[in-house]
Amino acid sequence: MQQHPMVAILRRLGAFILVLVALSVMIFILARVVPGDPARMALGPAASQAQVAQLRAEMGMNDPLLSQYLHYAWNAVHGDFGMSLVSQRPVTQDLAETVPATVELVLASVIFMFAVAIPLGVLTAQYRDRWVDVLGRLISLTGVTIPSFLVAISLQLLAARFWPSWPILGRLDHGLNFHGGPTGFMLIDGVLAWRWDVVASAAQHLILPAFALSIAGIGQITRITRAAMLENQRKDHVLTLKSFGVPERVIVFRYLLKLSSIAPVTIMGLEFASLIGNAFVIEMIFSWGGFASYGLEAILHKDLNAVSAVVLVSGLFFIVANLIVDVVITLLDPRQRQKGGR
Amino acid sequence: MTDALLQVEGLNVSFTTYGRTRQVLRDVSFSVAAGERVALIGETGSGKSVTAKAIIGTLPNAATITGGAIRLEGREVLHMPPGEREALKGTAFSLIMQDPLSSFNPVFLIGTHLDDVMRFADRRRGVRASRAERRDRIAAVLRRVQLADPERVMNSYPSELSGGMRQRVLIGLALLHQPKLLIADEPGTALDVTTQDEIMNLINQLVREEGMALLMITHNLGVVRKVADRVVVMHHGDIVETGDCHRILGAPAQDYTRALIDAVPPLYGPRVTTQALTEGAPIVEAGALTKTFGRRRSEFTAVREVSLTLRKGEIFGLAGESGSGKTTVARMMMGLLSPTTGQVTFHETPAKGRPLAQIVYQNPGTSLNPKRTVAQSLSVPLKALGKKGAVRQVRMQELMALVRLPVSYLGKYPHELSGGQKQRVAIARALAAEPKILILDEPTAALDVSVQKTVIDLLLQLREELGLTYFMISHDLSLMRNFCSRIAVMLRGEIVEEGATPDVFAAPEHPYTRALIAAIPVISDDEERMKPAVTDEERARTLVATTV
Repeated sequence: MQQHPMVAILRRLGAFILVLVALSVMIFILARVVPGDPARMALGPAASQAQVAQLRAEMGMNDPLLSQYLHYAWNAVHGDFGMSLVSQRPVTQDLAETVPATVELVLASVIFMFAVAIPLGVLTAQYRDRWVDVLGRLISLTGVTIPSFLVAISLQLLAARFWPSWPILGRLDHGLNFHGGPTGFMLIDGVLAWRWDVVASAAQHLILPAFALSIAGIGQITRITRAAMLENQRKDHVLTLKSFGVPERVIVFRYLLKLSSIAPVTIMGLEFASLIGNAFVIEMIFSWGGFASYGLEAILHKDLNAVSAVVLVSGLFFIVANLIVDVVITLLDPRQRQKGGR
Repeated sequence: MTDALLQVEGLNVSFTTYGRTRQVLRDVSFSVAAGERVALIGETGSGKSVTAKAIIGTLPNAATITGGAIRLEGREVLHMPPGEREALKGTAFSLIMQDPLSSFNPVFLIGTHLDDVMRFADRRRGVRASRAERRDRIAAVLRRVQLADPERVMNSYPSELSGGMRQRVLIGLALLHQPKLLIADEPGTALDVTTQDEIMNLINQLVREEGMALLMITHNLGVVRKVADRVVVMHHGDIVETGDCHRILGAPAQDYTRALIDAVPPLYGPRVTTQALTEGAPIVEAGALTKTFGRRRSEFTAVREVSLTLRKGEIFGLAGESGSGKTTVARMMMGLLSPTTGQVTFHETPAKGRPLAQIVYQNPGTSLNPKRTVAQSLSVPLKALGKKGAVRQVRMQELMALVRLPVSYLGKYPHELSGGQKQRVAIARALAAEPKILILDEPTAALDVSVQKTVIDLLLQLREELGLTYFMISHDLSLMRNFCSRIAVMLRGEIVEEGATPDVFAAPEHPYTRALIAAIPVISDDEERMKPAVTDEERARTLVATTV
């Protein structure tokens, strides 16, 4: 009995809302148990006790916890995360400006990861124990072990030394006089505005941070792809096709690749957590101005509203990514669709 | 012989692994004439599959052909340019693979496999055909292998078809380009006997109608009688004897061939085992067991209202094909699985800390941990019983003596042992905790016939020495006839026939039992004649169709 893919997706969505609720409760409690008074932080050491007390009351911090949470959840559902203490603007507005930058960076990294890692995995498996394999495994091992900030800083230093005109900070050349468009993705906005100079500059700016961010994933996915390819090469169905003279390249790039991509795609979903974590660091190094650097700023200043929104959005990223991964796997593997029935 | 379709002459093949070279084929010579059916038989390691791979050209990298010639219609294939050799695949000769569930890539449609095979074979032959034309040709071939709904088969994923249907598709795959020679590598071995029987009939029919030659590679002598005119017997890379099928099976010239034939449990005539069976008091009783898996919409009743009594000292056999629920019943009887309704009563209580029953699994290759020595495997149940140090050592040595293995084998790893030796270790492990009942789950299915016999003999001796009760699960009815004192036959979760083994075989009542017995490949014409009659209507009613 085939389960309709939609049913599976709707089930996932239901679970997804539950996870979000749980996440918001955790963030809410965490934000209230950590030491330090946000009102005092906001007003600075010079403010009087009375002023701090007044701000606390304004922020609703004297209410019972449950009603504080309900209030918070109600507002959050309506897209209101309160005011940021640091920027003195609504958190939602800050997020709207910073999230697209991060999404752009992360998506570019994911594309990088698959574009580099899958072919590398296939190659290393095809040329097992030859120099291509040894080199590929060395690269992937390096990718897995070297921390991404080290890669990022090294890339910056190398670029600055050998190619001084290459941009190593920010998302766009300041001289271009371009202030974003409807999507917030520089590449897409550039295309929409018919500004090819913007697109070129944005792409230049994107390459180094995206590469630095993807390096760990490249290592991981290469290894998984290689292992899956090797495992599947030994299967009888490869022999079936070989015995009937189907060319090797078709067997490898069509039959084996699709079957062997299930494992790396699954890993991708998990890899996403570290991707978001690494994005915090990479954005700082490259002055990316994304939501991760915004979050880091918020954490350092104990900007509670901003912190909880950032954590919630990170969780959302992770969940959505895994939802997509699940859907992709369901489409790749017919056996997944048969589960539940007999 | 110049008119031979396939001629193999003085073929020598050796394998090099870890720097050690081993010769696996020594001067193998035989021929297959056009339209002739030849069987290549032998046990594990005899070199029969290597011979087939050398002909097809799919030898693994570790293998080297060190001498000899393979001629197809007079043309030497071993020294052909690779492109020309590739062009022979699927057209001059074709391979029927056996289907251990994995002959098709699970994430591609059956139709995709078929279309790719056809497309590239077409391209090699310079045939141009559109996708729709190919689809029609494929559908026609699928109808040829009696698949009633080719469209549905093509639009299915491999996991959506039954084993019998997949085997039919594999045969279809081999027929796509009307080859002159079919090479069949143990087709149907992984399937139930009834399905295997249908597959053999189909291959026979196709070979006859299309005038193809057949090279059948098998270890099953019953299959040989059914599908071969001539037989080539192989043993350890040598050809032992070649000759007409009836002559070989009826009056083998070589001792090895005779030993092979004698090891096949006879379906009629005197039983191999004449051990006296004492039927004592009931030891385990199962009352109206029902087991349901899954919930709501996906609910599936694996076992329905099964009542059984296992008596002390008997050898009880539960027969049935895959999916009939026999393993589920065995698990419930031993308390490994709790029934949905019904109950199991034990009439004997084991000593404290000791199990009443232990199980011996089908495949010792997977039931023994490859990273542990025999001693380590045996020590697990002994440790659980609290046996320490010297006591444990002594007990291990006793166990090895029980299963007739030298004590020195305690230090060996499973990969250093043969299949039969591994199964002996598995039996020793099951006996370690001194159970009263041994559950034998297809204990010989993974073994060669000659080894099968030695394991069965060992089990019989152990029963006598230790006073054990056996509960055997199997689909091999001819083995059960020679081994079990009482059998029950299961069909779709229910017991359809039960009785003393000689009675059941002398006069099987239920049509399913008759169909099962009739499907067993036997090695003599006399046995074939004595088989019970089954009408097509009865067959259709009791067997799962593999054609739709």
